[in-house]
Amino acid sequence: MSDALSKRATAVEIARAVASGRVAASDVVEAALARMAATEPVVNAFTDIVAERARKRAAEIDKGRHRGPLAGVPFAVKNLIDIEGLPTRAGSKINLDGPKARRDGALVRKLEAAGAVLLGALNMGEYAYDFTGENAHYGPSRNPRDPTRMTGGSSGGSGAAVASGEVPLALGSDTNGSIRMPASLCGLFGLKPTYGRLSRAGSFPFVDSLDHLGPLARSTEDLALAFDAMQGWDPDDLVCTDRPVEPTLPSLQDGIAGLKIAVAGDYFARGGEPECFEAVATVAKALGASRTVVLPEAAIARAAAYVITAIEGGQLHLPRLRARPQDFDPDTRERLMAGALLPGSWYVKAQRFRRRYRAEVAKLFNEVDIVLAPAAPCTAPRLGQVLMKLAGVEMPVRANLGIFTQPISFIGLPVVAAPFARAGALPIGVQVIARPYNEQAALRVSAYLEKRGVCASLPA
Amino acid sequence: MADKPDIGRWVDEAAKAIDLPIAPQYRANVILNIERALVIAQPLLAAAEPDDQLTQGPIFRP
Repeated sequence: MSDALSKRATAVEIARAVASGRVAASDVVEAALARMAATEPVVNAFTDIVAERARKRAAEIDKGRHRGPLAGVPFAVKNLIDIEGLPTRAGSKINLDGPKARRDGALVRKLEAAGAVLLGALNMGEYAYDFTGENAHYGPSRNPRDPTRMTGGSSGGSGAAVASGEVPLALGSDTNGSIRMPASLCGLFGLKPTYGRLSRAGSFPFVDSLDHLGPLARSTEDLALAFDAMQGWDPDDLVCTDRPVEPTLPSLQDGIAGLKIAVAGDYFARGGEPECFEAVATVAKALGASRTVVLPEAAIARAAAYVITAIEGGQLHLPRLRARPQDFDPDTRERLMAGALLPGSWYVKAQRFRRRYRAEVAKLFNEVDIVLAPAAPCTAPRLGQVLMKLAGVEMPVRANLGIFTQPISFIGLPVVAAPFARAGALPIGVQVIARPYNEQAALRVSAYLEKRGVCASLPA
Repeated sequence: MADKPDIGRWVDEAAKAIDLPIAPQYRANVILNIERALVIAQPLLAAAEPDDQLTQGPIFRP
């Protein structure tokens, strides 16, 4: 167990210490701010720090107000989530000239209602069109495991802030893998919930058909704690589910008895570096999973996710591409322009295929509860690296880091990205994938792996 | 097999159609990204057309 003021303290440990009166929320916040001051020059995770707001909030908690399951837990959010009084950058320069947010995003309000304390906004790839964590305007977020390497993106600041120990909990967004990629490359646990499970209200969109928000943390228990606090219908997000809240924390340590677990074969068993498949094989062995299943037409799913992303993203940004093209990140601008020019028939075919793929994968989940797959095809590339070799084939980093995450988020399946424990080596993650709305099973499996030391967020 | 599309012309004409000015210094990279999209989208484009009854959902529910 870690000291609640240390950089290794988890959200659960901090909340328990604050709730019991062993530690003041104000001291937790001051310790986090001090760590940020020391660490930011290296990791560049934050774009905005709301120190005074955090101090005020912590003081209120210490006076007995705002108690809850996350009492005194510092957290930060990807800067596409609204923070009252700040412009919502979404990684861009252009949005700085927009209006300041008049209200916090829905998930910020939910976490604060549970007692958590917001410390600021986190760096990200421009407009979330990114797998690297690099940003021409604000500099790259740097991987705390090796600052010469990428954090993964687009929630790069979220990965850097949690892996460096600045905060125990951060929110990111995931359209094609943007929570799972930094979780994998920085050695963290990340939860991409079911599409529509958590409200996206008060966040800057990228691809409405595929956008999700979710947490990154250094333990499965912290993911469950945050997820439970954030569940619930929100009429301000049209796709937000009205299913009742289903807490995952009470059954988190129930183990894997009764769960049928399989490994994704075919598409998910090729095209990556050996370490990503070794991670899946070791995790599968620890879970006693010997069965292999095939997600049918996964290559088409990846292509369709790419098309929907390019076209929705391009269309969303068309007014800004017309008016201020010079103010975009060069790595984003021409991709968005190209997306705006792609044929509508591609888009509609991709959306229609999505329904078919959803139905086919649903059949598979009648036979199994959990599917394992690599999260990233390789460990963290070097900052600035444009090309990489996967399975001997040279290809662009940006377009291909998400080859294993895209076919999963495409149909909104819940996934925990769990870091395979490899001491002395760069991290790599495994996707623990469940059927829609069964986050509980994915979290249980992740907790089981963590308890046995197979998966762990090792110290940076 | 269909003729290879003229991507440069595609970019120029489609940009005009949607009133998107593309400065000369951006044009080559836009063309490169369309070419890349053609490669990545190929599995979808080559797949059989969906059944007529398979419509897209206005609100997608997984």
